[in-house]
Amino acid sequence: MLQQRNEKAFSYLYDNYSGALLGTINSIVLDNEIANDVLQNVFVNIWKKIESYDTAKGRLFTWMLNIARNASIDEVRSKGYRDSKKNEHIADDGDVPGAVTGPAIDDVGLRKVLSKLKGELRVLVDLSYFQGYTHEEISKVMNIPLGTVKTRIRSALTQLRTMIQ
Amino acid sequence: MNVKEYISTGIVESYVLGLASEEERREFEKMCEQYPEVLQARINFELAMEKQAMENSISPMPGIKNKILEKINISNPASIQTAKVRNLNWLKYAAAACLLLLAGSLYWNISLYSKNQQLKVDYDNTVAKLSGMEKEVQLITNNPNVKMASMKGMEVSPQSFATVYWDTTSHDVYLMVNNLPKPASDKQYQLWALLDGKPIDVGLIDNEYFIKETRLLIKAKNIQNAQAFAITLETKGGNPTPKGTMYVMGNL
Repeated sequence: MLQQRNEKAFSYLYDNYSGALLGTINSIVLDNEIANDVLQNVFVNIWKKIESYDTAKGRLFTWMLNIARNASIDEVRSKGYRDSKKNEHIADDGDVPGAVTGPAIDDVGLRKVLSKLKGELRVLVDLSYFQGYTHEEISKVMNIPLGTVKTRIRSALTQLRTMIQ
Repeated sequence: MNVKEYISTGIVESYVLGLASEEERREFEKMCEQYPEVLQARINFELAMEKQAMENSISPMPGIKNKILEKINISNPASIQTAKVRNLNWLKYAAAACLLLLAGSLYWNISLYSKNQQLKVDYDNTVAKLSGMEKEVQLITNNPNVKMASMKGMEVSPQSFATVYWDTTSHDVYLMVNNLPKPASDKQYQLWALLDGKPIDVGLIDNEYFIKETRLLIKAKNIQNAQAFAITLETKGGNPTPKGTMYVMGNL
């Protein structure tokens, strides 16, 4: 009985949200096969952690979306991912590995919205949201004061909101 | 900073997208509790993100769902609990199956026992029948004066076969019916001795014989002399001279 109820609950989550989560995962890992692997782990984690979900802190989908985003960023940062992307690039056209921003991937989900942002803001959102860099890391890499990084990202995000609403 | 300003700083988006620092998160959660406008702003942006994500859905590869189900069945502590429950269920079914088997076995034993009893009765009857037959056979086989006539089936019934034993000293006649078709209830077999081409009535075969088949040898009338024997199928009660079909015939 409990097992049946669990499976029903899981099926509900999966049937309703797997596509949306996969879209988001794909916009970060930019590889459909890897994205499907990540989706598996994401749902396993969702299932393991479901009791820690707190309705006061946000909607269920937001909670799941953040698990998916974090898992995707972990994947992108993993050695296996970097190696597979390196090989792919060398095999394709000898392109510089790690160059994940470019016109070809801008039509994927939230990235499409992001592409409407002005140059620097777009890079900031890409680094923070899609690549998971902290404000401190961005500040160091781009040689911009931390306070400026924060306000610019906040500004970019408010623009993003008006675009998707 | 008033609430409206706070909302417009981008903290809402930063929080929902998971980009806020731990300190910012704690502050934002407090603000949500205190100010319904902040909470509403959060929910609005969450819904916008959800809608955006839904619109950019990609169907997972087939089989992913089952793979996940397999994984969470192993790793989820809740499912370990259910596994225990399932084990108990299994035991319950096993116990029920055992009871059914036991009941079935008991029934089988009882039916075997009654069958066995029936067989015992049948066996006793057969032994009694056999010992009676043996005595009759001994009467003939132990007697060196007995002559035998094997009567073979005629064209009307080639499978038919019967044997006559004639005691040359006592002139007793015994008939053994090896194989004769069962007569109709208004007919009866009649045994004839043939002497110089003339039939002599030796006796009727009781129709009961064909029903019970208890007697191996049928005692017929005494006869002084005979060269051959034959059986015909006559009207019930028999005839002084044969009128019916001859079934078997054989010389002494």
